[in-house]
Amino acid sequence: MKAMILKEFRQLRRDRRTVAMLVAIPIVLLTVFGYAASFDIERIPTAVLGPAVGTTNPLVDTQPDVFEIVHVDPAGTADDAHDLLRDGKAIIAVVTGTPTTVYVDGTEIFAAQSALRQAGSLPDGVRVEVLFNPELSTANIMVPGLIGFVLLAVGTIITSLGVVKERAEGTIEQLAVLPLKPRDVILGKIAPYFLVGVLDLVLITVVGLLLFDVPFRGSILMFAVGGLLFLFVALGFGVLISTVSQSQGEAIQLAIMVMVPQILLSGMIFPLTSMPLGVRWISYCLPLTYFVQIMRGVFLKAAPFASLTIPYLILTLMAVAVFALAVLRFRRDLAPTGRRGAAEEVAA
Amino acid sequence: MTVVETRAVTRRFGSFTAVDAVDLEVGPGEVVGVLGANGAGKTTLMRMILGLLRPTSGSVTLFGEPPGRATRLRIGYVPQSLGLWRDLTAAENMEFSAGVFGVPPTDTPAGAGGRLVGNLSLGVQRRVAFAAALQHRPDLLILDEPTSGVAPLSRARLWEEIRAQAERGVAVLVTTHYMDEARQADRLILMARGTVVGRGSERDIVGSLEAVVVTTDRWEAAFGVIEDAGLAATLAGRALRVPGATTGEVGAALRAAGVDAEVTTGHATLEEAMVVAATS
Amino acid sequence: MTWGVEHLTVRFGHTTAVEDVSLAAEPHRVSAVVGGDGAGKTTLLRVLAGIPIRHEGSVTAPERRRIGYVPAAGGVFDDLTVAENLSFTGGAYRVPDIAAAAAPLLERTGLAPFTGRLAGDLSGGMRRKLAVVGAMLHSPDLLILDEPTTGVDPVSRSDLWRLIGAAATGGAAVVVSSAYLDESERASSVTVLHRGRSLVAGTPDEVRASLPGSVVVVDEPADRSRAWRQGRRWREWVPDGSPDGVAPTLEDVLIAAGLAEEEASR
Repeated sequence: MKAMILKEFRQLRRDRRTVAMLVAIPIVLLTVFGYAASFDIERIPTAVLGPAVGTTNPLVDTQPDVFEIVHVDPAGTADDAHDLLRDGKAIIAVVTGTPTTVYVDGTEIFAAQSALRQAGSLPDGVRVEVLFNPELSTANIMVPGLIGFVLLAVGTIITSLGVVKERAEGTIEQLAVLPLKPRDVILGKIAPYFLVGVLDLVLITVVGLLLFDVPFRGSILMFAVGGLLFLFVALGFGVLISTVSQSQGEAIQLAIMVMVPQILLSGMIFPLTSMPLGVRWISYCLPLTYFVQIMRGVFLKAAPFASLTIPYLILTLMAVAVFALAVLRFRRDLAPTGRRGAAEEVAA
Repeated sequence: MTVVETRAVTRRFGSFTAVDAVDLEVGPGEVVGVLGANGAGKTTLMRMILGLLRPTSGSVTLFGEPPGRATRLRIGYVPQSLGLWRDLTAAENMEFSAGVFGVPPTDTPAGAGGRLVGNLSLGVQRRVAFAAALQHRPDLLILDEPTSGVAPLSRARLWEEIRAQAERGVAVLVTTHYMDEARQADRLILMARGTVVGRGSERDIVGSLEAVVVTTDRWEAAFGVIEDAGLAATLAGRALRVPGATTGEVGAALRAAGVDAEVTTGHATLEEAMVVAATS
Repeated sequence: MTWGVEHLTVRFGHTTAVEDVSLAAEPHRVSAVVGGDGAGKTTLLRVLAGIPIRHEGSVTAPERRRIGYVPAAGGVFDDLTVAENLSFTGGAYRVPDIAAAAAPLLERTGLAPFTGRLAGDLSGGMRRKLAVVGAMLHSPDLLILDEPTTGVDPVSRSDLWRLIGAAATGGAAVVVSSAYLDESERASSVTVLHRGRSLVAGTPDEVRASLPGSVVVVDEPADRSRAWRQGRRWREWVPDGSPDGVAPTLEDVLIAAGLAEEEASR
């Protein structure tokens, strides 16, 4: 048995990825659940509008360290409050006047709940109104995000497995010597996964709408563009993973490493507002973060393009960058390498 | 016209020279075998001929032009790994490669059609790979150990087909390190350390190389004595062979150990010549 | 003591992997089991090695710790170094001084400079040699090697056969399977399997002599269904014997046996 235990430890030590996962996963999970994955709202960006902005504020004054005033506009109206919440600039907007109304963004469920809790102690004549998701339904905010998760799963895992199999079985070389242009091989390889991804996008959206009564208030075009952009990111990740993996097992391991942080940190489950800045910057590097913003905006807030320009722009850049890098790396498998191609394996 | 022609083709990887100034010609209707141990440069040479790798210097021409998409249309290639998709049926594989070349698919070898390639025996898989590579009537066949691991009768049938292609005027380039396959070629090229160290028939390549043959009842003892003398002995039934050695040194070692043995010489085999070329 | 199997039959569901095969393995001798893909070689060797497989017929083998077995693919842990691989197998067989047992074998096979290298970074031939060295550390009475030379280049193949020779010289009964006939010339006895059955068995000379009729080398065969190519010429099997045949090779015998079987089943 001693020989067996020794062998197993030696092998484990060599498997850098597994060791990395053994160390990294507890640390990531601890960090995420300890700091980021909190449903407690620490700061709620709040806007104060209307003629009485200067006077005491019934809501904000109760917990000044939670309600952080980010916007003050004495000329602001209820419409402005709606727009501020829709564009994600504030989660709560207090419109002073008679009566004073507190508007709450219902897509930020936890912030909204905590605001509603305070509402009980508000003086008479202050009204609270929840916008976009008045029932504070969890399904309403989860389903748009889950679409992204499914696209990531299909696009990244299935694509990387499909491409890495060609390499593992040596058929990639066969493709390279056939009279096919590298472009044809790459597009032909990816197109089926793209179609499956599109099908999944439609399927989960329709099921989500029917089964959970999730409202769809925005533009179908914006939904489609967001979905396709994100699909390109997911497929690109899949191809990239396959170009650095030797086996399907390695590909799955890498795909999981790409997916787990996106699930936890994209705002799909835990709100971004409850994450400390030290963790939140990671969220801003993840494509799913922008996809979740776009989909919630389109589904629940009927957001116009102008209010989602930044997430669209960033997602487009990410899609172009990831997909281009993936195609270039894939091409190296198919086209003869130049004289400086020292990276190639020395033929045994 | 020569089908394959390499002129002083060289390929370096960093400071390592995998193929060093190799000249090779294959004409129509000719079966040429490239032999060599691991690291001899066979694979790199073939990858340059297939257009998967660019030479560092020298030239490769196929049908008079450098390897490219146009030349690929005229090549049929069967890698050692066969290049079939195991999760497609044999017929689907045939259809795919026919589609790539824009020709109608030919008949799938008997008994293979509707079954997944991964479920076929190796012999049948090889027939399918070969049939798939012939569909577009290539003018050049490049085969990497085309019949390794196959039972003798299946191997004989495959070589009958390969030879039939050659008789139609197809140029055939085969890499192998099995003697049974090497004997099917019209001409052999033996590579070692990136260069060509022998050309011609089996007899040309073996040349004057001899192996010492030791016949004795005490062959177990003889084996130990020869190995202890730093020579490489192999069993041959109940005799021993020591390629690349002299009767003098073998005889002396045996006498010193008091082992009675008949020590003669015979022609080295092609395989022994390959080992001697690779290790000397 | 002679090891081996007698009248061995192994069935997997409806397919018969091995049917009524006998094989004798004697100390100091190398027995080759030759056949193509699916001939039943691996099943035969696995039963002999004591791997639990339901079978009929008798198996005579030493106790497990006196057997050395290298399966067709593997026998080596890629993520352990050469030395670690040997210390694991040596430890499993309770070899008292692993380093001393391994040193001459490593020297002989050219593995000695690479003891610190990961097995996964070795060439295919080097890995096979390492597997065989591992199986020889405890000087087994019966050494069973499943296709040790398949896909291996000639230099490593020659080293492997030197290891096999050393094991036989040391007194082991060695059973080696192979898809290549030229290798069986090196064995004392050959058993040729085809579709699970024993086609021919004996010393290489006996196998060659078992050819019914003769083989001729011609430019144009009389009967193409009994002919096969050798370079530009043909070899043709003439079952009812003509005296002017060439000395048959083992390959001729097997092709002829395959043809005869096909003709019989037609």
